[in-house]
Amino acid sequence: MIQSASAGARLAAAIVAVPLLLLVLLFELLPLLAVLVNGFLHDGAFSFANHREILASAFQRNSFVNSVVLSLATSLIAVAASLPIGRALHTMPVRVQRIVMTYANFGANFTGFPIAFAFIILFGLSGSFTLLLAKAGLLGGFTIYSKTGLALVYCYFQIPLALMLVFPALDAITPDIEEASRLMGASRFSFWTRIVLPILLPSLVGSFVLLFANAMGTYATAFALAGGNANLVTIRIGELVAGDVFSDPNLADALATLLVVALAVPIAIERLIARRGDRDAQ
Amino acid sequence: MRSEKGIVPAIVVWGFVALLLLPAAAVALNGMTTEWDGTVLPTGFTTAWFHNLFEDPRMSQAILNSLLISTATLVLSALVAVPAVLAGHFYLPVLDRCLAVLVILPYAVPGIVLGLGLLRLYAGNFGIVLTGTPWILILAYVPLGASFYYVPMKNNLRAIPAREIFEAGYLVGASDLAIIRSIILPSIAPALIVGFVMNFALAISEFVYANLLVGGLFPTLQIFMNVLRGGSGHLLSGVIAIYFAILLIATSIVLWATRPKSAAEGQ
Repeated sequence: MIQSASAGARLAAAIVAVPLLLLVLLFELLPLLAVLVNGFLHDGAFSFANHREILASAFQRNSFVNSVVLSLATSLIAVAASLPIGRALHTMPVRVQRIVMTYANFGANFTGFPIAFAFIILFGLSGSFTLLLAKAGLLGGFTIYSKTGLALVYCYFQIPLALMLVFPALDAITPDIEEASRLMGASRFSFWTRIVLPILLPSLVGSFVLLFANAMGTYATAFALAGGNANLVTIRIGELVAGDVFSDPNLADALATLLVVALAVPIAIERLIARRGDRDAQ
Repeated sequence: MRSEKGIVPAIVVWGFVALLLLPAAAVALNGMTTEWDGTVLPTGFTTAWFHNLFEDPRMSQAILNSLLISTATLVLSALVAVPAVLAGHFYLPVLDRCLAVLVILPYAVPGIVLGLGLLRLYAGNFGIVLTGTPWILILAYVPLGASFYYVPMKNNLRAIPAREIFEAGYLVGASDLAIIRSIILPSIAPALIVGFVMNFALAISEFVYANLLVGGLFPTLQIFMNVLRGGSGHLLSGVIAIYFAILLIATSIVLWATRPKSAAEGQ
């Protein structure tokens, strides 16, 4: 910030920020609020009836369980995979790092339909990889439309996202630390478990929570791959809104509210722990 | 810094990049084959599918619609987000802290939830009907893409000795606006280009809002893909290949914009 800026300049700065803040309010905050409020409306009155209805339905409960399992698994895989990839990338020239991170950025952000369809070409019923795996006798009961298949596609965007979140934190593992651990006779395994993981733990947890939220909220990719057949929370919400029978709109809001809560709680806890960690470090 | 133990990390890193690009390669290949069914590699090549695709009026309509929405999003987001980030960074620390939280909101709140909320507010319940028109997409994409300006701009801005630049500017009688326009903006140009490209890419890739709020009334490329899902896989491959080509161009622009200024910085 510029200390010497005049009051007029500050006022002008506040004014130019208004359009963005207005768009955020109208097209992000108010819609979120509308969903939260509507979720509590049942027959025109304020109640938890919608939420109770969802929690009482095994089908809806299962959609939550499926989403949570899928998200936990792919977030864990992504964080685990991002560590060796990140470490390997650290030994490469900055030029290479920049190229890889740019591709990772696109891989993490732009998924949905195209990626799902690409996976169907590769792993669908007559996809090349399916045929290769079948020839090698490794196919088992795998289909891309199953939960395992869904997890595979999720990993496609979860791993690049994990790399983007974890890679900057890897700076903390300097060559000195690695050298010191080698000199003291630490094995490769104990270097990872006793040095790398403890140092990175806070940022790994933070990344994990964001990855979890990202996977829980994924709609387009799952929809493109399995349509309404995948019983995931986001798919159920989409169906309640855009389905042929729009039976109970408030139910969609209540389901969305539960999803938001399921994401807000881990994010809030992680933030709280991270803040305490920062205080302790000072 | 180049390490001595080169080969394993190189395999890991380039293997990762190859896997990232594999889906795009598969789709492009599928779009160009006559027959790729029941064999590991395709059996014949043709570009006929691409010709068919461009003769389909729905295709040109979808591309046109997507380009319109993406370009409008790019322009609007640049006009509202860039000044706001600069204002927060240079003049209003409170605003800066606000923006830091607001830009991660789309990562914490799923698109389907926000889309549902937009449907509640702008489908006529409150006398405003924006659904079914491209406007709602353009307006709603701006908050979603704000982080694509905020993060790279802040990274660039933090590296600038702002106080020295402004004081030197005041000495020669330059106004704040003149200093920002002629010194600050050119030095954060890479971040701005990244922001433009990523916002364009966001608007052309987005499916949830497009499907929920507008759908067939103003079909975008993503909506057209959904329409083609039931039909010929080759046509769909063609559409997706074109989409991947656009993303590849976007990636190249980002790489070019963020390239190191001298060979020394690249090492």
